[in-house]
Amino acid sequence: MHRRSAMVVALCLAVVTSSGAQHVGHAMEGTDATRWTAGVHAIGLITRASPAIGGKSLTEGYLAQPLAWGRLSAWRSRVELTGTVQLEGLTLRRGELNTGIYGEGYVDRRHPHTYLHELMGSVNGSLAGMAASVSVGRGFVPFGSDDPMMRPFAAFPVNHHLSQILERLVAVVALRSSPVLLEAATFNGDEPVSPSAAPNARRFADSWAARATLFPLRGAELRASHADVASPEDRDGKGVRQRKWNVTGRWESQAMAAAHTYALVEWSSTDEINRGRRAFTFASLLGEMEVSASGNAVALRLERTVRPEEERLLDPFRTVFPSADVQINGRTRFSIATLAVRHALPSLGAFSAEPFVEVSAIDAEALDTPAVFVPAEFYGARRLWSYSLGLRLGVGTMMHRMGRYGAGK
Amino acid sequence: MKRAGHVAWLVTAIAVSACNDGGTAPPVQRVPSTLPVLGSGLVAERYTAEVNVYGTYAYTTTWNRRGTVVGNAVKVWNVAGNQPILIDSLIIPDATTTGDVQAIADVKLLVVATERANGSIVIYSLVDPAHPTLITRYASANTTNGVHTAEVQRVNGILYAFLCIDPAGATPARLTIVELSDPAHPREVFSGAMGNPFVHDVFVRDGLLFTALWNDGMTIWDIGGGGRGGSPASPVQIGNVLTVGGQVHNIWWMHDAVTGSSRYAFVGEEGPGTIGSASVGDIHVVDVSNLAAPHEVAFYHVAGAGTHNFSLDEQTGVLYAAFYNAGVRALNVRGDLGTCTADQRAADGRCDLTKMGREVAIGLQQAGTAAYVWGVQKVGTSLYASDMLNGLFKLDAR
Repeated sequence: MHRRSAMVVALCLAVVTSSGAQHVGHAMEGTDATRWTAGVHAIGLITRASPAIGGKSLTEGYLAQPLAWGRLSAWRSRVELTGTVQLEGLTLRRGELNTGIYGEGYVDRRHPHTYLHELMGSVNGSLAGMAASVSVGRGFVPFGSDDPMMRPFAAFPVNHHLSQILERLVAVVALRSSPVLLEAATFNGDEPVSPSAAPNARRFADSWAARATLFPLRGAELRASHADVASPEDRDGKGVRQRKWNVTGRWESQAMAAAHTYALVEWSSTDEINRGRRAFTFASLLGEMEVSASGNAVALRLERTVRPEEERLLDPFRTVFPSADVQINGRTRFSIATLAVRHALPSLGAFSAEPFVEVSAIDAEALDTPAVFVPAEFYGARRLWSYSLGLRLGVGTMMHRMGRYGAGK
Repeated sequence: MKRAGHVAWLVTAIAVSACNDGGTAPPVQRVPSTLPVLGSGLVAERYTAEVNVYGTYAYTTTWNRRGTVVGNAVKVWNVAGNQPILIDSLIIPDATTTGDVQAIADVKLLVVATERANGSIVIYSLVDPAHPTLITRYASANTTNGVHTAEVQRVNGILYAFLCIDPAGATPARLTIVELSDPAHPREVFSGAMGNPFVHDVFVRDGLLFTALWNDGMTIWDIGGGGRGGSPASPVQIGNVLTVGGQVHNIWWMHDAVTGSSRYAFVGEEGPGTIGSASVGDIHVVDVSNLAAPHEVAFYHVAGAGTHNFSLDEQTGVLYAAFYNAGVRALNVRGDLGTCTADQRAADGRCDLTKMGREVAIGLQQAGTAAYVWGVQKVGTSLYASDMLNGLFKLDAR
């Protein structure tokens, strides 16, 4: 694992330096108004989950979120190409300790994302006085809130699979007339089955989503979105549907400036629909904020999310994927408070580094009686802790918000 | 008193059904009696799955995880008396569920299905039924995702295991058929993708294979007895039925030992549930008198609960069904189940077995004790029930 991480670091550095380190970190403009930006990002991370299983604590180290991204715009931004390569399939094969998280066959460990995280092409124009775009490729569906990788915490919230839909073959239409942004998309419902898996192209357009965003003030956003996702867990499309809702309020002042504040509040809900009837509902309420000045930042996240319990494999952090029936092993409500503190070290040219500390206090409560998954029996306690010490590393431009394309940016 | 009531009911039921095969005067709705508990063998450290009885021994399997303890065990019980006595435990390495178990009396074998990854069947000798000894563990590329159920039956004299294999990742569910003529050297004769999205269980009798294909319903195959040229190595489809609600989980094709009727197959539906506390799913009665055109004629519904595995006493004509959080239900299924009065009929035309007075007994519904019953087996006058939460129960089913 360590050898793989070292290879990934070397590969990322090679990519950036070979592309011309003197250019990285700057928006470049050519004679035909071609502009590009690019960056590389990774987190060196040590996490301790206490207890993680059976009363025992686990301490592990990773290279988390290693990614390289770039955006190219041409013909005065009429055409854009956005791409992100994510290498967690090499560095996080066993998953990252992240108590409460679930999805894609992992539980209490965050699953690695796909190597081709996004590759989206957009054509921008105008329609009836509104900015308009059509974006096509593999990427984020316009649903829910920003990807957790672009938010202040290394640990993902439990609600990741309730609040984001990503790595799909998707076509997005966006219309923006300040202060309103409307986005609609169609995509394949199937989740990736491995980091190298491509979307099931035969299922393109079996699912859809729509999101409306209001910008009432500079820096403020109010978003409401809905998605109808066909059989996310069964690649052949024979599993249960999901109907998802998300309402988000977001505030950010002076993005990328020396001092700024950020806050997000969201409610998410997913109904699992079996043969036309609602079988299960899982909901989440999350609030987070960050205040930073002079390179120092403090962030707090409060989350309450209900997750389904699924049959675990011999590896207790892996689950049956897809499920062999439509039953669950119960529901667990996670109430989590996470505090993060980080400090930006002085930049060295295009290189940046931010050491950080995160601490999470977690309460896990079974909601069904009798429950076959009893958190206190599995973890060894109902109240759990997670500690992380890490170093965010960046070369070039750091992506600010992921999964926003064309007029949706 | 309850026992006397049972005997009186059975005599009445047999008499009524004997006169009732023509479809007139269905029995009146009655209050079901209670199946008394004779004894129990508690299993506290693991969740219990299936039960299978062989002589005076019973074998129970285990499911998934209880806390950090995985379901990799088969419990061996002495059930000669009322109280099941645990006498041995078999531990199967690298298994998280030992879901299905079946003793084959004539060859003294015990076959256990294991899930998930490293899916296999484990074959034991029952020469000493108190202490089964390992013969072999069979796994192949066509079982490795997990053997959800294993049904062992003879087809034209040859012993086969019919294995329902779990889906995994991008690999769909499949049916794998293994010949067990030499139990030490199982031989795979068929494997094919099947089910929408699962194939959960099968029933094999008289050279016919009934497959439970979830939302693809129940399909009947000729594997040597259907006159279509089929065999276990090359099943030939005869007919299919989509039962109401789909989610076809398990099947029992009844051969009534008294009337000789083989008109009905009973289909268990498994809807979305929360294991341990909630379940959904009816029993569906399918008329298979024309194998090429089976059709549903009746159903049995329990509010707030769903069915799981069956055991049909073909001498008395009583179907015993595990009903998860609703314990055990016993139904009189002798006679004509497709003819009923207008009051006994649902809006879609199917007969409602409850309204027809077919529900005769209930078990493991004691107040204050939560049960979640996976499987049942009727042997003699006793009914054995495996309760996921508590272990093995022996009930009086006279």
